[in-house]
Amino acid sequence: MLIVRPGKLSDLDQLERMARSKGPILHSLPPDRARLQELILRSIDSLQNEIDYPGEESYLFVLEENGTLYGSASIVALAGQHEPFYAFRNEVVVHASRELHVNHRIHALVMSHELTSCTRLTGFYIEPEKAAYADLLSRARLLFIAQHRQRFCKDIFSVLPGIADAEGNSPFWESVGRKFTRRDFAEMERESAGRSRGFIAEVMPVDPLYVPLLSIDAQRVMGEPHPGSRLPYQSHLDEGFEPDRFIDIFDAGPILTNTLDACYSLRHSALHHLAYTSDVHGTASYLVCNTSASEFRCIKTHLPKQLSHDIALPTALAATLEVSTGSDVRCVKLNHSGAA
Amino acid sequence: MMKIVRLCQFSDVDKLVELAHKAGPGMTTLKPDPSAQAARIDRVRRTIEGSAAIADQGYLFLMEETDTGEIVGVCGIETAVGLEQPFYTYRIDTSVYASREMHIWSKMDKLTISHDLTGYTELCSLFLDPLHRVSCNGALLSKSRFMFLAQFSDRFGERVCAEMRGVFDEKGDSPFWRALGSHFYRIDFHEADRLVSLGKKSFLAELMPRFPVYIDFLPDDAKACIGATHKDTTPARHLLESEGLRLERHIDIFEAGPVLEARIDSLRVMRESGLCSVVISDTHKAAPSAPHLIATGKLKKFRTGLIYTAPEQGLIMLTPAEAKALQVSTGDQVRMMEAYPRRVV
Repeated sequence: MLIVRPGKLSDLDQLERMARSKGPILHSLPPDRARLQELILRSIDSLQNEIDYPGEESYLFVLEENGTLYGSASIVALAGQHEPFYAFRNEVVVHASRELHVNHRIHALVMSHELTSCTRLTGFYIEPEKAAYADLLSRARLLFIAQHRQRFCKDIFSVLPGIADAEGNSPFWESVGRKFTRRDFAEMERESAGRSRGFIAEVMPVDPLYVPLLSIDAQRVMGEPHPGSRLPYQSHLDEGFEPDRFIDIFDAGPILTNTLDACYSLRHSALHHLAYTSDVHGTASYLVCNTSASEFRCIKTHLPKQLSHDIALPTALAATLEVSTGSDVRCVKLNHSGAA
Repeated sequence: MMKIVRLCQFSDVDKLVELAHKAGPGMTTLKPDPSAQAARIDRVRRTIEGSAAIADQGYLFLMEETDTGEIVGVCGIETAVGLEQPFYTYRIDTSVYASREMHIWSKMDKLTISHDLTGYTELCSLFLDPLHRVSCNGALLSKSRFMFLAQFSDRFGERVCAEMRGVFDEKGDSPFWRALGSHFYRIDFHEADRLVSLGKKSFLAELMPRFPVYIDFLPDDAKACIGATHKDTTPARHLLESEGLRLERHIDIFEAGPVLEARIDSLRVMRESGLCSVVISDTHKAAPSAPHLIATGKLKKFRTGLIYTAPEQGLIMLTPAEAKALQVSTGDQVRMMEAYPRRVV
């Protein structure tokens, strides 16, 4: 059975293997062992500490089955702890003239720090063979947040990789970033790896960019997810995230935003009392997690459409979740707003 | 036979309208409309008499064939632009995007809507009948205004500018407008230009880009328009440049033509022109010299002509015909300057 659980140091080899596999280069796993190790250590540290409000913590989760990892996803408690988090905000400027009977809207991209004090979902990666579990991996994070609200901000966002060709060239970067940096996209990403992103402030435009002045190719990919990210993109939509307010400053990948209160998994999940263990027959898909931070476990299973406060789970499943009779578990019935 | 440039009067309305017919629709500031021209001439009168507010002050000069009274050219000076209707230009600003850490250094010029030229004196409305675009007529017409600026510098501020016509493609469209203005105004260039000439300028402020525009985001043909002059306008530009005007950082917001500018006290005319006294003689013939501009001193009777005589020891020898054309008598003070700056060999 596939489970989502916090990453540990013994996962490092497998994480590195996944990070080096082919895939979108931005916002997923850094292909760098030292950085991966750092991420795991910080996650372990964050989970062990008593946290009353969001700060430097970040959380790394993995998707595992019988000791093999198939994916990973992370949460950064506060997107910009020591420096701003940069994003392009989609703005609309209305230009109207009564005399000319002209009234039209012009889109402009404005460099924004607005997401700095939000919680960020990041580092999403899933092996294609387990793509059916993208919703488990992505949304398990929201169940974790539901269970540990005080660790997170009231607003949340997620950056997904944007459109790039097989060589890693991004049409948006060609039209925007390259003009300001004179660098290749891949080169820029490689060189900035592991460094402070403060350089972004130095090299990216301080003035809003009028969208009609960008190349048609660049306009076309704005807010479009990389084909490899359609599943997590859909998971975010299912959670009620809004896709259109911000885009990534490098590749124009979608930045989906939401308030925690409006997230489906926070509104519709509930704590249930595990009254007994037995076989359960149900037709509705659920995510179920335990209430622990450091021993967090989340699974996807079928349960009855209506759940009362007291519920039953199969013995094996309870064991996987590391819960026993008398424990509380958090359940949410999966919804699918669009085509998954 | 001599051409002079003089201030416009009420009796010139019909001739001005006739000249405007020759200018055609491209010349938006010179319309064959008698009431519009009469109003403009009245503005000149009020300016001379001192009853016009600074925002309203302007001068209009005509080039006249003294023998026949024919009017062959027109040019103007506005005392201070932008004091009533805002005067818009794009300012070209430079920003450098650099990171030592990342070994990045990138210079990005951008265009920002500006009112920087508010209060500048503007040289404007120049049109010379195509049949008379010969010898030094263009220079006399254009440069007469510098003689006026020098002679009456207390009537003007510190700086002067002149908008030059920009580049259009073979279809008469502006590539700059196509790449930039059309996104914001959603009307045709010529329609926009026409509205401006009618004084309907409020749409400019309502529709123009409010944020700076990075030049690098424009296509190459639009970039090439920035600060470039229409080929028919290039000689006029050279004349102004020879007097000390330069493209600094401002261009037209529609077609990106250059706005030339200068401090008035740094113009060539302020250094190289000087006053001298008129001597009229029909017996003593002065030695021929390079062309000189000669301007008479009195405001209402201001006249500038071109003669091929140089002043000597504070005196300028004029023939009776020249004196008659310029309406000067012996002993009158005139301002003189060589018409073209001397080339440094």
